[in-house]
Amino acid sequence: MSKIPKQPEKKQKTKEKYRSDENFAFRSIIISAILGCISFIVSLLFNAEIITVFMNIDLLWTFIDISIKVIAVLLFFLFIITSYANYKELIGKRLNWKELLLLIFFSIGQTLLNPSVFILTLIGIFIILIYLFLIQE
Amino acid sequence: MKRENFRVLTCIIIINITIVSLFLLANGYCATEEINSKYGESPVIDGYMDLSAKEWNKAAFNDEISLEGIPIDLWVMHDDTNLYISIQFDLLLGHHKINEFIGLIISNSSSEDKEEFIDAKIIQFTNISANEYNYFDYNVSGSVFLIDTEKNGDGAAKLEELTSTYEFALPIKGHDANEDDAALDYGNGYAFNITYGETPAYPGGIKKSSIVLINIKALAGPIPSIINVVFSVLSIIVFSVLGIVLGFYIYRIFKLKENIEKYRR
Repeated sequence: MSKIPKQPEKKQKTKEKYRSDENFAFRSIIISAILGCISFIVSLLFNAEIITVFMNIDLLWTFIDISIKVIAVLLFFLFIITSYANYKELIGKRLNWKELLLLIFFSIGQTLLNPSVFILTLIGIFIILIYLFLIQE
Repeated sequence: MKRENFRVLTCIIIINITIVSLFLLANGYCATEEINSKYGESPVIDGYMDLSAKEWNKAAFNDEISLEGIPIDLWVMHDDTNLYISIQFDLLLGHHKINEFIGLIISNSSSEDKEEFIDAKIIQFTNISANEYNYFDYNVSGSVFLIDTEKNGDGAAKLEELTSTYEFALPIKGHDANEDDAALDYGNGYAFNITYGETPAYPGGIKKSSIVLINIKALAGPIPSIINVVFSVLSIIVFSVLGIVLGFYIYRIFKLKENIEKYRR
């Protein structure tokens, strides 16, 4: 008979579930961060006016240009907020309002060169925040 | 014998130098003055320099040019579309001829070779006492003046007492200029042969002339407003800081992974 007492089966299952949740959360942090970085690069190229091929051609291309800029910033905000909130949760903390404000500032800050993009992004971020607030348990 | 050889050798050298020089030296004129055009608002081309409206105040001015004995005052300026040249001179009472004219024979570059002068703009008085004139645009080929199919530019002249004033507006088109005209462009210099004559025949009627080199200054780009500069700087700061923060965040994620694995072990 073994001297080491066997762990109860229920405790073992809880531990495995916790480990699985932890892996899922970590994968979510990584994937969201990578997608956030990609959105940031797209935003840098268009909002910092490194790529200006769509600018000042006609109304349709201006609309496409503005859409790319706004969507890039909104996706950046969405992915980074998801990644960072999960990261904080994993280390046992919660995303506070100061960090949220900083994230909003960094997102809006990317659109300073174009007033239309700035306003549309501001509205978009506001809608995302309302959505995230409503889906909270 | 030795002296004779020396003389022959000297003659050969002189003949050689003369022949070579004939080929090397281009048949050209010589510019007397160089003027840098200044940017200013377009004046009214009416042959009258309106001092109250400060029409030519911003123009580059030169009073050191002489048309072989006739001292002239020259104003040169440009705007976004045209080069403006005004020429003014005084002649004694009765010396202004009824068919007096002033012409600008324009080189296609700063070169003063005769072949380069391909364009001529002439303001020809038909009756100077009644201030009646015509503006002509010619294409110059050697010593032949051919009227342009498309008249470009504008010109006007007026005689007031002893002073006659000639005003030219020449389009600055660069490569868009047609073949008959000199392709004036910003940032380049062009030789202008200012000519004076008393009979309406070209080039036979030209009595006096002088060449000036006019440099058309490159147009300055629009000055960005202070607000745009501030936003551009802020944008650069935001993107730079965000890049650093994201890099640090990715580092923290990998550090967290290491810690988790360490904790599990």
